[in-house]
Amino acid sequence: MNAYTKNKPRIAVHKFSSCDGCQLAFINLGEPLLELTQLVDILHFAEAGPLDEDAMVDIAFIEGSISTTEDVMRLEKIRHNSQYLITIGACATSGGIQALRNMANTGEWIADLYANPSVIKSLDNSTAINDHVKVDLELWGCPINQQQLLSAIRSLLFGVLPKEENEKVCMECKRQQTVCVMVTKNEACMGPVTRTGCGALCPKAGRDCYACYGPAEKTNTSALANRFQGFGLLSDEIARRFLFIHSDAESFHQEGKRWKTK
Amino acid sequence: MTTSKTININVPVLARVEGEGALDLSIQDQQITDLKLRIYEPPRYFEKFLEGRNYYDVPDTVARICGICPVAYQMSASHAIESIFNVKPTPWIRSMRRLFYCGEWIQSHSLHIHLLAAPDYLGFDSVIDMSKQFGDEVRRGLKLQTLGNDMVSLMGARSVHPVGVKIGGFTKAPDQSSVDDLLQRVTNAKQDAIDLIRWLDSLELPDDEQDFVSVALQHSEEYPFNEGRIVSDAGLNIPIDEFEKHFKETQRDHSTALHCLLNEKPYLVGPLARLNLNAQQLPREIKELMRELKAQFPSKNMFHSIIARAIEIYFCILEAEQILTSYLPTEKPCMEFKFKAGTGYGCTEAPRGILWHRYDIDEQGCVTKAVIVPPTSQNQPRIEEDLKNSLIHFGLHKQKKALQLHAEKVIRNYDPCISCATHFLNLNLMRDGIDDSKPFETLFAPHFKNIKLNKTAIIGIGSPQENDQSGYLAIDFLERDKHICKLQKNGLTLIKLDRPGMMLAESLKDFNHVVLIDAIRPKPSNARFKWIDIQNIKNQTRWLSSHSIGVAESLEWIKSIENLPKDIALLGISNIEPVELTAILLQCLGLNNRHQNPS
Repeated sequence: MNAYTKNKPRIAVHKFSSCDGCQLAFINLGEPLLELTQLVDILHFAEAGPLDEDAMVDIAFIEGSISTTEDVMRLEKIRHNSQYLITIGACATSGGIQALRNMANTGEWIADLYANPSVIKSLDNSTAINDHVKVDLELWGCPINQQQLLSAIRSLLFGVLPKEENEKVCMECKRQQTVCVMVTKNEACMGPVTRTGCGALCPKAGRDCYACYGPAEKTNTSALANRFQGFGLLSDEIARRFLFIHSDAESFHQEGKRWKTK
Repeated sequence: MTTSKTININVPVLARVEGEGALDLSIQDQQITDLKLRIYEPPRYFEKFLEGRNYYDVPDTVARICGICPVAYQMSASHAIESIFNVKPTPWIRSMRRLFYCGEWIQSHSLHIHLLAAPDYLGFDSVIDMSKQFGDEVRRGLKLQTLGNDMVSLMGARSVHPVGVKIGGFTKAPDQSSVDDLLQRVTNAKQDAIDLIRWLDSLELPDDEQDFVSVALQHSEEYPFNEGRIVSDAGLNIPIDEFEKHFKETQRDHSTALHCLLNEKPYLVGPLARLNLNAQQLPREIKELMRELKAQFPSKNMFHSIIARAIEIYFCILEAEQILTSYLPTEKPCMEFKFKAGTGYGCTEAPRGILWHRYDIDEQGCVTKAVIVPPTSQNQPRIEEDLKNSLIHFGLHKQKKALQLHAEKVIRNYDPCISCATHFLNLNLMRDGIDDSKPFETLFAPHFKNIKLNKTAIIGIGSPQENDQSGYLAIDFLERDKHICKLQKNGLTLIKLDRPGMMLAESLKDFNHVVLIDAIRPKPSNARFKWIDIQNIKNQTRWLSSHSIGVAESLEWIKSIENLPKDIALLGISNIEPVELTAILLQCLGLNNRHQNPS
């Protein structure tokens, strides 16, 4: 697949359990959205209009996590129909914020929320796409931003797999010369273990990072958790720092579980 | 024209709505016999996982309910929690919150007008096709949408799930130069907003007046965003903390969908309802412009919603211009406070209508209970009522394609946000109601707890030669499945059993946790599987295949000599999909959490 092939690359955008926020990386492009439609054929993107769920495509983008058996079957079909499969956002890459239910008894939750629980056909767990099928590229972030998306598409148009961004938010803060909120304000900042890509938005806005881009490479989560304890955070508060947007990402999950008492 | 015919319209995936919904419509002899706006997104349980979290986590959590209106969620939550802590925002915080909200309305309304709704009225399937003929209009719309996003980003650093909000205010005051840049663009956008209103007013919109009640916030001095009383055009006027007394979430008898009703009747929230109730608070130049339009307000034509959205975009641009012009940076973008226990209510005007929150906070500052009523669950009964009236008015004798397009137009008028709706109680996941033809028959679904894999077996009963092969084939499949293989390495046993009877008793004796898989003669005929209640197995034999001594008899007999394993479940299968089989077995064994590593 490259920019010079006669036929435009075909793409599809599929949605599973999510808030729709990552699809907005396409929809909020503004005028570049029209430019994008010159470069690729969008065959399926329900929110934007085109409908052809079973289309064979070059790139399938997937938003959302898997939480019903129908989802599993739909996903396998999408995998079968696409050359590259790219997950967009926290839900698709790690199960997302709704994976918090994986640590609870979902049956009880359903019983609590619904008068007639037996008709709710949801799996106990919310799981990432790569728990079920092969994923060619993961774009992390809650939500992903337009730069991530466009650079991935551009790379693929030129026939190369995009480079994975997995260094820590701290590195981005240093490059931007943002004052460290952990050093200067004792904020329980997750930057030291969180993947960059957002542009270090939170420290720049004067607050702690809350890890919406998921774990970075080689994270020292226990050292950070110990530091949080030094700040006076209670054990469960430390657990909740890790068990939030990416509670099912392995390193966060393990560290969170270590501190969780309730 | 035929006089007697049946039309079934099923739109399995509604395009150009936020989230995943479907429409089922049956018309028989020109009568609507069935009409359902089905919402099939699975629930995400936000209200439950807010429980036990610190109050300061709430704005970042609830934002994730909806990528299109995160500001609304953050604002309703902040106001609710601040009311518990007696935080009274400064005028600076108050006006910056209005600016923040202006951004979201501009963004959300522009998105809806151009990408979701307008293609309907101009005969296109999507904005992509529409842009080929209406390039200038589309570009103007996308420009407004970008302006709205950037306005949210000014306060929140990004437009989807902004990070600048905290209980008590904002994390940081924007610097003067960013404010000046934005002000320039806002001023330039005024003409675009006026042109947009005139363009939409020139479209041929259906004439479809209906009787409905509008509900919105109302404030004595301004067009409502964050504050006010809940009022209706039928005389309701209450403070927000009395919402639960007047509005009831009721369950429809054929589904779990909770629909919110006012005095047991549907009502409308959103731009048209707001404009119907609050037009007197609009600035003079908007009122003058409105007098010149074909569409007159208050209006009972839901198709005027698209114009109401454009008018609100213009309002937000004027409001933002005013706030940005008088902007002064502050050292205190956030209030100081001490948290305490209590119950608080918040109700703000999301782009799609009132968004009501209630939180109970304990002495530790943690949420003990959260209740959230999003606009779409309030509008859903109204949408169904509107569809009925509107389709009859449109003419039920019309072509199927025309009926479908009209129905979709009606739904899109409401800009339903299914992502919001399903994250709460009003989930309509009935598909076909309680019907055991569907996967995940949960009635007797067993859940084994704390299993030991070396004491666990999955036993498939059936014969490779005869026509009840399913149990046998199931084990064949499971031996190749990667999840099951992993468990097998850790001690799980898989057994194929040709005949039940004595052999079954023998096979059971070494295990504490057993799932039996047997073929069933399904009823209804398309049932893929069924969990069978072992306690009541004598009455269930019609489900089971006919071995010489069947599974039912064998189990009864083993039960009588008290030799049943601690955990035992019986799964009847017919033409189940392999992935589905694995999923339900893992769920039964309590192993579908991939972090769980049983010994």
